[in-house]
Amino acid sequence: MDRLLRVNMTDRTAKFEPIPSAYASRAGRWLTSSLVHDEVPATCHPLGPRNKVVFSPGFVTGTAAPTSSRISVGGKSPLTGGIKEANAGTGWGRRLARLGIRAVVVEGQPERDGGFWMLKIDAKGVSFEPADALTGKKLSEMVPGLAARYGGRDKVDVCAIGVAGEHKMGAAGVCFTDREGRATRYAGRGGLGAALGSKGLKAIVVDDSGAAEVPIADKAKFDQGRKKLAAALGEHAITKPKGALNAYGTAVLVNILNEAGGLPTRNFRSGRFEGATKIAGEAIFAGNKERVGKDVYNHPCSPGCIIGCSNTWHKRDGSEHTSCIEYESDWAFGANCGIDDLDQIAELNLLCNEYGLDTIEIGGTLAVAAEGGVWKFGDGKRAIELVREIADATPLGRILGNGALVTGRAFGVTRVPHVKGQNMPAYEPRAIKGIGMTYAVSTMGADHTSGYTIAPEILGVSGKLDPLNPQKTDLARNFQYATAFIDSTGHCLFIAFAILDIASGFEGVVEECAGVLGTDWTMNDVARIGKAVLDLELDFNRQAGFTAADDRLPEFMLHEKLPPHDGVWDVPDEEIDRVFD
Amino acid sequence: MKVEARTYASLSAPGEQAGEPREVELREAGTVADLISALGIEAADVHLVIVDGRISHRRDEPLRGGARVALFPAVGGG
Ligand code: SF4
Repeated sequence: MDRLLRVNMTDRTAKFEPIPSAYASRAGRWLTSSLVHDEVPATCHPLGPRNKVVFSPGFVTGTAAPTSSRISVGGKSPLTGGIKEANAGTGWGRRLARLGIRAVVVEGQPERDGGFWMLKIDAKGVSFEPADALTGKKLSEMVPGLAARYGGRDKVDVCAIGVAGEHKMGAAGVCFTDREGRATRYAGRGGLGAALGSKGLKAIVVDDSGAAEVPIADKAKFDQGRKKLAAALGEHAITKPKGALNAYGTAVLVNILNEAGGLPTRNFRSGRFEGATKIAGEAIFAGNKERVGKDVYNHPCSPGCIIGCSNTWHKRDGSEHTSCIEYESDWAFGANCGIDDLDQIAELNLLCNEYGLDTIEIGGTLAVAAEGGVWKFGDGKRAIELVREIADATPLGRILGNGALVTGRAFGVTRVPHVKGQNMPAYEPRAIKGIGMTYAVSTMGADHTSGYTIAPEILGVSGKLDPLNPQKTDLARNFQYATAFIDSTGHCLFIAFAILDIASGFEGVVEECAGVLGTDWTMNDVARIGKAVLDLELDFNRQAGFTAADDRLPEFMLHEKLPPHDGVWDVPDEEIDRVFD
Repeated sequence: MKVEARTYASLSAPGEQAGEPREVELREAGTVADLISALGIEAADVHLVIVDGRISHRRDEPLRGGARVALFPAVGGG
């Protein structure tokens, strides 16, 4: 891992550069956020020529470290106007790492509309190909053919934007192929697909044929670390084979959050959804069993994942409908839209995958649209038509495709559950205070993956806290630091369930990274590195014009009581401001 | 007294739908532990207990008549 690939879309040139020495031990989110902070003017227009979209595999991506095929994508967010890091599980970043490419920086913009282009990266170098013929299509129709053209899914992985990105919509994500070559894994949030679209870059195909192994400075240390992590993942009830994630997927959370009164329902009007059991992970498991005739366990989204949480929903005839219905997507189209029909939720999920849309933002947007009278909560058929309209880029479709805040403005809705313009994910802050603080201060806008305090607040992992207790300042800070470190390693955040409970697993992760890089990092470096990442992101947002006033939850949550606990958002502003003080 | 129990994920009996409410008869001020044994579930398999929407951290927590009690194994997600 020694090179940086700079791709200039103004004149369609590409060149390799050595990694600047200041970045010698940075990768993943640490590197994408460093590059965005250091190279992108914070006040630039996110869809203009001065924004950049940056990709980086983590420290251990491409090695034998378990569950480490994540790619970090960064840039200035078209949705929030702040910094954005989103990551996905895919073989794409693994191939990049094996080619010795630690970062790809996509910059510039054609001066006139120059149509769409794609990039092919392999051991011989980089080439641009016209990509207009790839536009306007569903991703499942376009991506497999593209992969086949370059040798098939055993040889290449594909990164692409869908029609939403082509239309520069704020809810457009960046799609990557999964282990089976499906175009379904997303660096979803924050509209980075629109930033790529604004540069006329439709797809990047990576072929690592002939690449060498990822160099490892201290193999013994690396192996020791990797084994400790694998042991922790194999032992913990959540991450082990046929454990909770493997059997029920992330959607197993639907019932838990519903019981805890923290499952946002019908645009955050209630913390309980009467249809929860019909859409939960257990129902997905039971429905698949009925339709396929056997127990269907989940699969790894990316090479080398030993957790395997990614599910597939099947149609009545046993054929595949969509993969994967994550908890977030299940909730976004289910409870938050008042829809209790898994087939309709699956269709909405599928359409977002086809058009290159972030399911969380679109579910949240539909809920705001229902609140504004565009359709009725629970009318799944109409919801499906509306998502199709986004792909058709009708005026209504363009409003919806730009997310919940834009939709709220267009339809006079004041109840928009967002922070910094990004719709909240599937945890109610009035019922779970630590996650609310995380939403408030996250550099990403409302984002649960910034610091998953749900682990101790609800799940009893890494501690047992009362979700309704508002004293969560330290928790919100510490989880965000630890997460920023994990996001830099290339590991999937879901390893956290095991390593937060099993200390040797966390040590193993640090040893793996130190082994690859040849550093002497210990557990004491985790928070230091996490803080370094956050400090860069916070500084970017400050320069972009964000102030403490942006670190606030929407006004309606301060006075509107949320059933069943009937609580309001009561964390004092001073406490929120102390998180990163 | 009666409480309303719901079991989820691997705690549900085969064939039983997750989250199906079930009335269970307990002695007055019976505890979470009493409920778990009345349901015939291995105590060690229960990781998370939610009583009337509040996470319960004590197995000796006394229940009120009519309480809604949800039992989960260790689960995670995002
Ligand atoms: S745990 Fe799930 S999301 Fe993470 S890498 Fe494995 S399959 Fe993908």
